[in-house]
Amino acid sequence: MKNYGRIILYIVLILIAIINVFPFYWMINVSLQPLEAVYADPPEFIAKHPTLDNYKEIFTKYNFLRFTMNSLFISLTAAIGQLFTCSLAGFAFARMKFPGKEILFGLIIATIMVPIEVVIIPEFLLMAKLGWINTYLPMIVPSFLIGTTGVFLMRSFYENVPKELEEAAVVDGANPFTIYWRIFLPVSKASLSALFIISFLINWNAFLRPLIYLNSKNLYTLTLGLISFVGEFSALWNFLLAGAVVSVVPIFTVYLIMQKQFIEGITSTGVKG
Amino acid sequence: MKYKWYVPYLFILLAMIGLFVFRLGPLFFAGIMSFTDWSMFGSAGFVGLENYADFLGDETFWKIVGHTLLFSLIFVPSIAFGSLILAVLLNQGVKGTTAFRAMYFAPVITSTVAVGIVWRWIFGADVGMINYLLRTIGFESPPSWLSDRSFSLLVVSFVFAWKRLGYYMIIYLAGLQDIPKTLYEAAKIDGAGHFGIFRKITLPLITPTMFFISIMALVDSFKNFDIIYTMTRGGPGRASTTMAYYIYQHAFELFEMGAASSLSMLLLLLVGGIAVLNFYYKSHWVETQG
Repeated sequence: MKNYGRIILYIVLILIAIINVFPFYWMINVSLQPLEAVYADPPEFIAKHPTLDNYKEIFTKYNFLRFTMNSLFISLTAAIGQLFTCSLAGFAFARMKFPGKEILFGLIIATIMVPIEVVIIPEFLLMAKLGWINTYLPMIVPSFLIGTTGVFLMRSFYENVPKELEEAAVVDGANPFTIYWRIFLPVSKASLSALFIISFLINWNAFLRPLIYLNSKNLYTLTLGLISFVGEFSALWNFLLAGAVVSVVPIFTVYLIMQKQFIEGITSTGVKG
Repeated sequence: MKYKWYVPYLFILLAMIGLFVFRLGPLFFAGIMSFTDWSMFGSAGFVGLENYADFLGDETFWKIVGHTLLFSLIFVPSIAFGSLILAVLLNQGVKGTTAFRAMYFAPVITSTVAVGIVWRWIFGADVGMINYLLRTIGFESPPSWLSDRSFSLLVVSFVFAWKRLGYYMIIYLAGLQDIPKTLYEAAKIDGAGHFGIFRKITLPLITPTMFFISIMALVDSFKNFDIIYTMTRGGPGRASTTMAYYIYQHAFELFEMGAASSLSMLLLLLVGGIAVLNFYYKSHWVETQG
């Protein structure tokens, strides 16, 4: 009886896995086919004559290398910025006393719920005033500085750092910045890498900001490059899906290497956030 | 630790610039703009509540509110129950749990744009996978899904739920691991079956997590711009236009910044209102852990 239960459990788990993985399989499958095969009836469930031509095309003719580099640059800069913004603020909120602390922290938490669509219009006008339209800056600067979940994550970690660690340094005459830099930053490596991965991911996949801020093709991010493909070549599924694969592979690689930090980051910002 | 009074403010300076310049400032400014007829190419005049009155008296606006709520109505329960089921199944300690978890999580880390594109293909009217399967099993004329008024919104919210399930599954898994093992063992000794254990132990103890997840999913469900832009652009007609997409259209296609701002204030009201309501009723259905 018990064995049957296990077998059914496995079957269910595998069926769910198929629903989750099939779209990715299909992405790869179609990306390896010439256009005629894409429209074949019945569809080719396994590419009969797999070819890398689609990838060659999108990289040489359609600028995908440049898009990848743009996405990489934006996501890395914004994620590194997050580390500073959130660890500095998290340290102060966890370890220091100052007037207005509760209110300011409360305001940060309160804005977690605000959808980006609500603030994007004034933000756009601000960027226009600053002359930042059609540069990388609107994608980087806000993500660099807005640390809603990140401040929360770092604060909860720093609150649990034992007092002795801090006191030892105080005896040595260290100032708050040295204590932050020499003691708190190194012990919070795990939280920092979780934060880094999450913000890298958010920026890598971001769409609305690139869509409204970028006009020149050589500044496009991968997501925007993909979408522009839909508009111009809506029927060229083989190119489109090759592009989708290109946008997915780097993030999957990071995920597979750092799965633990990923999951920890989500549970620690998610469960308590 | 000794420090001058201003030192803490130096530490929070970057985050405060973020908070005030890119969050609260724009929020406040959007509120002001919503009382003007500001367009990208003209000067702004104060029009009082006119934008609001226009929208609230407009049939299209209410249709779009309806679409927004329908999207949430499909999305939130699918997440609240679907991801719980995934988590409970994965929590049985089977071999290969890590591999299954990685596969269930894959859609979460993929960009909405890439997800939307591949699902557009799967739901394609002519070459799509689903219609191929439907025709194979004998449906002569399957629906054209994304270009069909009665299906497009359903398909888009389904795909978005598919994408987000794994995220909430992880949160449920953490919640499940907090349930004391002794409770399960005691129940087994008392002869409770799998379903009995789920109903009598897991479900009551997981309700706080479920409440939390429902709120998060609700907020999540309003952030549907990316998926709608990628899959339907709000169409056919306005059949899958939601508030988020409608704001974008007003602001960046019609360049009516004032009107778009009043829409964004209404969206904020919707998000905030539902969250407050949920919070208020929380005590009625969440069992508190003693």
